Amino acid sequence: MHTATRRAFVAGGALAVLGLVRAERVWALIDEVAHGGLPGGGGRFLSRQELIALRAVTARLVPGPPADPGPGALDVRAAEAIDLLLGAFELDPPLIHAGGPFSGRAGGSRDDFADFVRLDAQEELGWRMRLEGSRGLREREFAGPVLGLQEIYRLGLARLDEHARARTGGAFARATGATQDALLAATDPVVHRLVAAALTNTLEALCGPPEYGGNYQLAGWRGLNWRGDAEPIGYTAAQVSEPDPAVAGGAGAGAVLDSAVRGDVLAGISPSLARGRRAARRAGGRT
Amino acid sequence: MSRASVVVVGSGAGGSVAAWELARTGHDVLVLEKGRNLLPGLGGRGSVGTLFSNDEVKQGRRFEVQDPLLEPRTRRSQAQARGGVTRAFVGEVNSLATVAGGGTVHWDAKVPRFWRQDFKGRSLLGPVPGANVADWPLEYEELEPYYDEVEKRLGVQGDRSAMPAATLAQAPRRHQFAMAPNPPMYGGLKLAAAAAQLGYQPYPYPMAVNSRRFDGRASCNSCGFCSGFGCPIHARGDAAVSFLHEAIRAGARLHTRCFVHRVDLARGGRRAVGVSYVDRSGARRKVRADLVVLAPSAIETARLLLLSRGPDHPEGLGNSSGMVGRNLMFHYFSVGAGVFTERAHSWRGPSTTFTLDDFVGPVTGAPARRAGLPYLKGGCCEVGGGTLLLEEADLYAGAGLRGSLLTASLRQLALRDHISGIQLNAEDMPQLANRVDLDPKIRDFRGFPVPRITHSQHHFELAAAAHFAPLVQEICASAAPTAETQVIGASLGAGSGGKAGPYSTAHIMGTARIGDDPRSSVADRFGRLHDVPNVVLADASVFVSSAGFNPTLTLMALALRAARNFAR
Repeated sequence: MHTATRRAFVAGGALAVLGLVRAERVWALIDEVAHGGLPGGGGRFLSRQELIALRAVTARLVPGPPADPGPGALDVRAAEAIDLLLGAFELDPPLIHAGGPFSGRAGGSRDDFADFVRLDAQEELGWRMRLEGSRGLREREFAGPVLGLQEIYRLGLARLDEHARARTGGAFARATGATQDALLAATDPVVHRLVAAALTNTLEALCGPPEYGGNYQLAGWRGLNWRGDAEPIGYTAAQVSEPDPAVAGGAGAGAVLDSAVRGDVLAGISPSLARGRRAARRAGGRT
Repeated sequence: MSRASVVVVGSGAGGSVAAWELARTGHDVLVLEKGRNLLPGLGGRGSVGTLFSNDEVKQGRRFEVQDPLLEPRTRRSQAQARGGVTRAFVGEVNSLATVAGGGTVHWDAKVPRFWRQDFKGRSLLGPVPGANVADWPLEYEELEPYYDEVEKRLGVQGDRSAMPAATLAQAPRRHQFAMAPNPPMYGGLKLAAAAAQLGYQPYPYPMAVNSRRFDGRASCNSCGFCSGFGCPIHARGDAAVSFLHEAIRAGARLHTRCFVHRVDLARGGRRAVGVSYVDRSGARRKVRADLVVLAPSAIETARLLLLSRGPDHPEGLGNSSGMVGRNLMFHYFSVGAGVFTERAHSWRGPSTTFTLDDFVGPVTGAPARRAGLPYLKGGCCEVGGGTLLLEEADLYAGAGLRGSLLTASLRQLALRDHISGIQLNAEDMPQLANRVDLDPKIRDFRGFPVPRITHSQHHFELAAAAHFAPLVQEICASAAPTAETQVIGASLGAGSGGKAGPYSTAHIMGTARIGDDPRSSVADRFGRLHDVPNVVLADASVFVSSAGFNPTLTLMALALRAARNFAR
């Protein structure tokens, strides 16, 4: 825990902007962490060493330049966005549910997204359980213990470093890409839980609205040719009923799909196309 | 009749319709809703606002869906139940939106009607071994005026002239739809054209989506964040904006974050006198009422009836038949996907714009005989759906992609822009062993037993999928002849870890079926409990069969009929 860090953050006045935060201001919070601007050089929840390890993890799951055209996890500041989620209750209101209906990016003049919806007492209990775990508290263990995301990340990153030291003598972040991939594929359940959580949260940071702290400078949407939220303008009848032009410069986009995508992906994803597919990312039971 | 006090449990599709009918006919209506109200201005003088948006992260963080950490459900299969397994999974099982407006706040508003044959399955088609097939205690014609009335308030688009004769014969409609269809989605157009070439009859999907300004609400602009998302511009009609808003303006009161855990009875147990609930502060309260309307959804209605057991109803309220919780039905989905070389962008639009009814059935003869069944039935098809960006990324990740293959797939827009699919919503047989009961150990955060879902597919659904899914695949392959197609059929029913298949559907029916015989049904033809007639069921718990159609319009029509029966 980093109580001193959190106090410094609060005292530093960053909270003052969060009544009505625009994406740029959330990015400023992210920048503070990315540039080591918080005391100790860490994040709002993660320590400096943990952040370094997490950046390395996310970069293997979603790589970017120079090895991969990206956009990658480092481009969208995925690790810093995950830290913002893990330390959500350091901010008021916590950045859990962005407001609505419009962001101002697709018409309209207001950024309603930036006006985060305040959790009520019931939701706060649920999110504290999700982030902090049940911690042996009776009011959180009515259906058994819950392992929180904070612990999943903290224990998982520590375990990865342990495995890395045993194999290479150094920290995970200093290992080669191939070694990191092998370590991430370990059957160790502590690592497995970390990878599952990190993949979910990294993809949120890559593909989600920037108000949550990821998609830094809209690098995710720009790189993936995605407009993002479309209201209140929406699409014209022609945009709905006619095919789109091919994407200039997009590898394969608008043309015949890469055989690797066809062969390896489609066989795996089709079952998830059923109704309720969106529930898949929410699914999961107690640990 | 004189002004009655009414408490309505749940503000979703059924509860809002019932509250609207009862409030506007002068009754004193209190709606108790377990969730929050995310629609500022609901029930006020002005228009209704919203906190919903085009935000996949917020959706994934259960903005409007109950939190399974606080309110888990448990699940097991029939075989596990027979083997003594108490539960196989604890977590999110068949969640619906739990907010003012219920599941309709994020529905894609597809509103086909059930067919005549769906109400009379037993007498028309006979029994199915191992299933509990029965006739409904009403016919299509009795429900038709309520279909008309609910559609009129919701605002439904469609084209009667394009509907197949078989559909209109089975589900007659006297009037053209209130609005013309939305611009057709490109992927759907391609698939519909392929279907037509094969001799099928695709047509514009009836849906409660505005294709023009309607009832003071905006026209749909095809933003694409439709099914599973609250509409940021209220272009969809739903329980909240079309019924609950007006109910409150007519005098109904909406109390949110109130969880009803018991129906209270008068001495002797034949009359309800109100309900007990926990309010947002955690305080336990009671409210008296002349009429109790239950509409918290099929799973939660069964749970509440079972939680209401007492000396006069030791097996649960209204359960003298032993049928409470039984005959739980979901739809069984088969999905085909065509991969188009051009950018078909099937995420743009109101989820899907075409349907076809050619796979509804029944199919008799050799295909049924080969399966050892008297007949096969499928259902309607949703033609032309696709995926959004984060959903696409999650699907790749779920398929095991990591690293450069993951980023390459995302850059190629493979799923998002090139895939368009067809989903068959097939009928699920009612079975006594598919049921909701109370988990013997797991409690929610308030301390109440959670619902336990026991469900396995009947051979009927698997055989129907084996028959119809290749036909779905044929359409996809015909529309996109150079690409692969995948049809999942039976794989959905296999152990999917709670992540796909029937356990994640929002189409939840049965658990307190209606009927004329109190020995084999829970409630009568107007949803009144046989055992306690001033408790009325107004959600999909009353369904006798699941049919092969999106169930919410039928649910709302039944709720209106039940409420009007009392109001009269």
